[in-house]
Amino acid sequence: MSNKRRLWQIFGPVLCAFILLLVVFLIPWERTFSKQTIYEAAASQNTTVFKGSTMKQEAYEDGYVPFYGSSELSRFDPLHPSVIAEKYHRNYRPFLLGGPGSQSLAQFLGMQGTTKQLKNKKAVVIISPQWFTKKGQDPNAFALYYSPLQACNFLLSAKNNKTDRYAAQRLLDMPDVKGEIRISLKQIAAGKKLTGFERFYLENRRRMLVNEDNFFSSFQLRDRVNKIRNRAKVLPSAYSVAALNKVAEEQAAAHTTSNNLGIDNTFFRTRLPKKILKNLKGSQRHFNYVKSVEYADFQLMLEQFAKQHTNVLFIIPPINGKWMKYTGLSSKMYQESVAKMEQQLTSQGFENIADLSRRGNEKYFMQDTIHLGWKGWVAVDQAVRPFMKLPNERYNYDMSNYYYSKKWQNKDNVKRVNLTSKDRLKVK
Amino acid sequence: MNFNFINLQPYSNPQYFVYLMIALIPIIIGLYNGRRLKIYEAIFSIVFLFLIFDGSHWQQGVNLIVWLIYEFALTFAYQYYRHHGKNKTWVFSLTVILAIIPLAVVKYLTAFPDNSINFVIGFLGISYVTFKTVQVIMEMRDGTIKKVDPVTYARFLLFFPTISSGPIDRYRRFKKDYDKVPTRDAYITDLQYAVRYLFQGFLYKFVIGWFFGTYWLPKISTAALAVGNANGGLKLSWWLLAYMYCYSMYLFFDFAGYSLFAVSISYFMGIHTPMNFNKPFISKNIKDFWNRWHMTLSFWFRDYIYMRFTFFAMKNKLFKNRIRLSQVSYFLLFLIMGFWHGLTWYYIVYGLFHATAICVNDMWLRFKRKHKKQIPHNKFTEWFAIFLTFNVVCFSFLIFSGFLSQLWFGWK
Repeated sequence: MSNKRRLWQIFGPVLCAFILLLVVFLIPWERTFSKQTIYEAAASQNTTVFKGSTMKQEAYEDGYVPFYGSSELSRFDPLHPSVIAEKYHRNYRPFLLGGPGSQSLAQFLGMQGTTKQLKNKKAVVIISPQWFTKKGQDPNAFALYYSPLQACNFLLSAKNNKTDRYAAQRLLDMPDVKGEIRISLKQIAAGKKLTGFERFYLENRRRMLVNEDNFFSSFQLRDRVNKIRNRAKVLPSAYSVAALNKVAEEQAAAHTTSNNLGIDNTFFRTRLPKKILKNLKGSQRHFNYVKSVEYADFQLMLEQFAKQHTNVLFIIPPINGKWMKYTGLSSKMYQESVAKMEQQLTSQGFENIADLSRRGNEKYFMQDTIHLGWKGWVAVDQAVRPFMKLPNERYNYDMSNYYYSKKWQNKDNVKRVNLTSKDRLKVK
Repeated sequence: MNFNFINLQPYSNPQYFVYLMIALIPIIIGLYNGRRLKIYEAIFSIVFLFLIFDGSHWQQGVNLIVWLIYEFALTFAYQYYRHHGKNKTWVFSLTVILAIIPLAVVKYLTAFPDNSINFVIGFLGISYVTFKTVQVIMEMRDGTIKKVDPVTYARFLLFFPTISSGPIDRYRRFKKDYDKVPTRDAYITDLQYAVRYLFQGFLYKFVIGWFFGTYWLPKISTAALAVGNANGGLKLSWWLLAYMYCYSMYLFFDFAGYSLFAVSISYFMGIHTPMNFNKPFISKNIKDFWNRWHMTLSFWFRDYIYMRFTFFAMKNKLFKNRIRLSQVSYFLLFLIMGFWHGLTWYYIVYGLFHATAICVNDMWLRFKRKHKKQIPHNKFTEWFAIFLTFNVVCFSFLIFSGFLSQLWFGWK
């Protein structure tokens, strides 16, 4: 056998394999997920689901409503929104999006793939005032939620406006954004158009990433279906707020026996061992959520909702009152930051706000330090339930680029809007 | 330190292979045309070594350099001594002990809980380079290695395809390959094996190993902990059995896949790094198993610990009974191997378990030889032997995994 022929026999199959791989990844595959898979995905909080598109798209078209939030979403006690929706056969099911460290910028990017599916529909956002630190999105946490697929989506639909330039600039602050995507983001941030080659590259890259999402995103879902069903068993069969609160009290009382801060036993044992607890005393006295780049990042989320004409319910949770006292976090500062968020929301026409921020001293409202639980979830449901009964409608908002400015980011002493009198809010 | 450095841990992701293959092209073309581009190879090796130990891993890189200087000084001091015609046992023993000290210290320090030591200990692959050094010193003592050439020695120790986790090559074998250029025909055969091993490695590590280790193992582990804790007592459950098999499969496919990468890349470079695994799960007995599992390590232990000790003991007439002698040697070998894996109870129990198993196996073989006529031998007994060995081995891996420690005591 000649050497040439032998070489062909060795490397020919390799070459074929690569060509085949490229073809497989570039063909537009269609697929649907089973209802069971979608249900698992909705409750899983998996980052692959967060970063993907197909699952979310399919879910939103099938009665799921996105619940954008962070670590509180994993507080799966019997009053958790997913459990309540299951138990009382609601006309929606929550699709949980976010986890520890998924702040506004990560959420904004994650929303890119579902612009069409959320048009004129509903969404729920659980805001964490803890996001609103001086530097906003933590780059290490962003790495967990960064999705090149959504970055391609963003780039390919980006226009030369303030929102997209600002978003591109912020994404460039994150070290995990690399390669061709980084180069293209620089173009957008500078107000330039993408070149023909860049578009070609991004479109093919997106095609590959969509396929990857299709093939692999149903792997390794965190299966919480049984958890939901088991938790639902403790709930009363007829819905009433009083009965739910009673269950919440019983559950909470049984789970907070190890400490007098009203913190869940497991959390207290694993996350707050003596040494850490001691160090935390008085440690948050100087925390400030009023001046933060996060306000501008949050504006990106709002702009995305406005673009989709989505009707949004915002939930602003409190902090465990006892914990607040222990760490020395300023209640005045906290309320000031809430006032600032509410100003930003209402002035642009976002009027569905469940402001729970003053209820941190109610017993069993929080599951631990800063996370909603038990009675807090019941309070959430009191806002979610009527909101979901509203018909789907096209909502128009009155957006302002002022909220991207340094001036707004650093503004303090924002006057509190009175949420109870709807006519005093800006008319849409 | 700047964390934005490119840092490439060997064989960790597809990009690594892309960079590696591109960098290999000149070497491949060179060898195909009958030339070994030694300078390019050196630069290429240094770059890839740098990529392992740069960025956030720079402290390891410093440790590696310090270690190298130390071991070089030791090796060449010993060579100087041997070239003067002297061969005292105590000098030899001292040299070996000094060569092992850094590894021993590292093993001792890593036994402390995380964060209790505030500097970076050792570096990736310190065990394997130490084994190579010890081997060279021992063969200098025997006189089978007459002269160590510093450049080849550095190449041998730092041969980057195998630096992180073996296979453990031998100096004389490496030098023979390294000093010659294969004929075109032989090199094409090398390429053929290289490509095959590479893809077999992909299948093993990234597909099969992934399913066992990343997909199933965490689920099984959660279930085994939950059911075990509910059952109480020894916390046994069927899930634990599933864990045992799943972990064993993961361990094999992950490590065998990794070893195949190392062998494959070596073949591309015209170096026949020895294989590490040879179908270990069809072993007929434990001894057979150790001739098939992590072979370069077990052969190293055989040649440089078991044999050395046996000769030493025979020369000094420490044991009258040959059987007793081999048993003691086995326990010594596997205890050292256990300690080498780490200073926790389950690695040491793993070592003792294998030593016991191999002694029991020897007893059985002696018994069988005496009662040849009564004991049947057929296809069924052969299969039964394989089945039994497989389960004994899997059980030893369950010990090795540390999962029992997690199940019983809540720590690993």
